[in-house]
Amino acid sequence: MIHPSPSAAAGRPSTGALLHRFANPGRFLRLSRWLFPLLSIAAIVCLAAGLGLGLFFSPADWQQGDAVRIMYVHVPMAILASSGYAALALCGLLSLVWKHPLADLAAMEIGPVGAVVTALCLATGSLWGKPMWGAWWVWDARLTSVLVLFFLYLGHIALIRAFDDPQRGFRAASILAIAGVIDLPIIKFSVAWWNTLHQPDSITLTHAPSMAMSMLVPLAISFAGFALGFAALVTGRLEAAILEHRAQQILTRRAGARA
Amino acid sequence: MTHLPYILSSYGLTAIAALWLSIALRLRLKRARARLAGLERAARAQERRSP
Amino acid sequence: MSTPSHDRPADRNPAREGPATNAGPDGGRRTATRRMTRKSRRLWLTLTCLICFSAATALVLNAFSSSIVFFMAPSQILARPPVPDRVIRLGGMVVAGSLRRTVEDNVPVNVFDVTDGQAAVTVRFSGILPDLFREGQSVVALGTFRPGHPFAATEVLAKHDETYMPREVAEALKRSGKWDPRFGKPPSAGSWDSMTRNEAREMTGRSAQ
Repeated sequence: MIHPSPSAAAGRPSTGALLHRFANPGRFLRLSRWLFPLLSIAAIVCLAAGLGLGLFFSPADWQQGDAVRIMYVHVPMAILASSGYAALALCGLLSLVWKHPLADLAAMEIGPVGAVVTALCLATGSLWGKPMWGAWWVWDARLTSVLVLFFLYLGHIALIRAFDDPQRGFRAASILAIAGVIDLPIIKFSVAWWNTLHQPDSITLTHAPSMAMSMLVPLAISFAGFALGFAALVTGRLEAAILEHRAQQILTRRAGARA
Repeated sequence: MTHLPYILSSYGLTAIAALWLSIALRLRLKRARARLAGLERAARAQERRSP
Repeated sequence: MSTPSHDRPADRNPAREGPATNAGPDGGRRTATRRMTRKSRRLWLTLTCLICFSAATALVLNAFSSSIVFFMAPSQILARPPVPDRVIRLGGMVVAGSLRRTVEDNVPVNVFDVTDGQAAVTVRFSGILPDLFREGQSVVALGTFRPGHPFAATEVLAKHDETYMPREVAEALKRSGKWDPRFGKPPSAGSWDSMTRNEAREMTGRSAQ
């Protein structure tokens, strides 16, 4: 483990020093000790409120009926699948350029969570498409680009663990994560660039959402809940990874002392 | 409510995945904390024995 | 388990750079400069690779854009009719008042017109239409087309729009004459998105009297 002396870090106010202030695994453990329970509790509260409102108190859609309630799971999963990948790519950049010590561990822990979220996005979308469109799956640009995102996640999970020398795995996975960022604008704009079966986005930055407030509010709360849950899972997993890494270091040191 | 099975399966799948991830994380954290505590105790004991 | 690179040298750890920085007024700066250069070179290299890769992807997507589209519009199909037996997808809005349902050999047969606002193509589909099928709805039909004949669909999918609205609000808008779902999209969301279900019921009740 590194033990950076605070004076050295303070005396050098470069971006590097600033980044490394947050890179210290010990500092992360202290952060995680209160952040992880806080995030978990906030996630549970928001999910209970948002999904409860969505399932029981929000109105049925005029044409989709109750099936619209699938939206309260599907849309947060879709946003998180893309944002999770953006986080993965950011970790890749921090690892390749700044050699940020926690970035590789974070990428390793974000990958599986992101893959599960993307799988849920595809599965709930399929369960929504069957009763509404009349098909479980179609090869339109939106669905296909999200499927590509799922395979990018799977590729990242495999690649980061594929080498005996972890550094090579981290490097290869970082490159994959950064290259895969291309898929994110394709997913986002697929419904605008090409005609697809999937409808365009209801919530955009430029226009008022084409959704009744009574549906938008539960959607926003459940999104907050899922996002907090994602953050909590990643924080907790990162904490576990650092603890496992420390244990491994003690074992290595002990083996070295014996030899 | 002809679409009830679809709604229930999508919420159910999500709940199963969320529970699975969080239970796995709980167990992993518990194991990692216990293992590290044990190793650190052993290391301290060894230091005391061979000063 | 992994051994993350906590102990990779130089640019890894500011604390270890103490001696180098103290070595002399110039020595410290030189090491810092070189380190920054290496770091920014890595940054630029990564960004350049990403930009090149994006450009390549954009070119590929642009070249294949005609095969990426999920369906063709009636005007496109009429302007350039496809090879007669090739299976294509036709997408557009079902023309209000064009739907005719009959039954042949116990199978429901549906004939309707699909338009993109510029041209219309008649579609013939035998089978059960999806729940969301209605006049004014967007649909995508899979099938073959021969000029002069109706589009022979083997599958019809409903394509709903991005508007989500409670039933009561839709009813109120329809009753007030602001919107007829058979002729297209609802008015912009700003005019109804904060309408509660009770207000909508009141409005519907008033206009019914």
